Amino acid sequence: MVEARARIRALLLDMFGPDSFVTELADTVSLREGGVSSAALVSLLVAMEDEFGFEWQDDVAPEALRSISSLAGHVASLPA
Amino acid sequence: MSASDVLERLDLKYREDTLKVRVRDGVELYYESTGDGPVVTTLNNFFMTTPTWRVLTDDLANDHRVISYDLAGHGQSTHPETYPSWAQHAADAIALLDALQVEKTYLVSTSISTVLARDIALTYPDRVAGIVLAGPALGPKGMRRHRQIQRAWLLTLENHGMAALYNHLYPEVFGADMNEELGTPGFLGLRESFLALSTKEDLANGLNLALTGETSPELLKQIQCPALVVIGDDDILLSNTGARELAEHFPKGGYEIMPGAGHLPFLDDAMGFQAIVRKFVAEAEAGA
Repeated sequence: MVEARARIRALLLDMFGPDSFVTELADTVSLREGGVSSAALVSLLVAMEDEFGFEWQDDVAPEALRSISSLAGHVASLPA
Repeated sequence: MSASDVLERLDLKYREDTLKVRVRDGVELYYESTGDGPVVTTLNNFFMTTPTWRVLTDDLANDHRVISYDLAGHGQSTHPETYPSWAQHAADAIALLDALQVEKTYLVSTSISTVLARDIALTYPDRVAGIVLAGPALGPKGMRRHRQIQRAWLLTLENHGMAALYNHLYPEVFGADMNEELGTPGFLGLRESFLALSTKEDLANGLNLALTGETSPELLKQIQCPALVVIGDDDILLSNTGARELAEHFPKGGYEIMPGAGHLPFLDDAMGFQAIVRKFVAEAEAGA
């Protein structure tokens, strides 16, 4: 989980830059409230597919996409 | 501009210098007004808010004045204790135009707000220069099918919540091309927007209102201003034949079919839709 959180944060830093709000974004804070737009979320989801080697499914719960922490939880729940 | 481009540029944030106009006792409407020229006022369906229109009208705003606003009971506008009737929504729109000193406007409506465009044009004919009906809820023979769909959406919302409603309406509203283009990440990203745009109560109020009002296509014969029906040819709610027949009810009706687009054709091809509106306004102005 810790490693997944760090890798997701790294993806966000790649998208928004090293001096962006991402450095201050807590793992459990809502991505939307933290400043991640819907378009950026789509880019993040695509980047996660490449980074972690899986494909998102339409039936993933909205809560799974809420924060860095919940995204990492989704990654951790995937079959090895 | 493809659906992916629209999604990439979609900015749902409200302006910090919030603009509101008082339209009646205790009710203020949030609005945005951009550009100069013939006035085009957008009418939200119950799933849209003002910021959504920016990316869909930015080209039009180069040579038109585009006014978008949140309906009472939605978005950043006042949520009155009693949800407005169609007549109140229509009166609110006119009060907004009064406040902005707009004598006459073109109305761009979508899905269920085509009912509102019809009602405004019928009740306040001197204030409406023309109406664009994109993916209309109005049908050439009546509105039974739309009512059934709206009722099904309402039941899904009430029994299963917002995310389930999104799952229900997505394949009905968005065309196959857009669905394939956006893929699962786009589906999930738009769901995030959908969940952020509205509350369950706001949507339930809107969907309940959608089950009321006049349904007779005969009313359309009384609308004297130019009217343009715009549908995607992948709009499962109205066929190409239905669009033509609907347009024929208007004394000055026409229709446009957008290839590959769904029920909200301006999302599939925002630039193409704006070009259609621009041409419609130019022709109406030339004939005025």
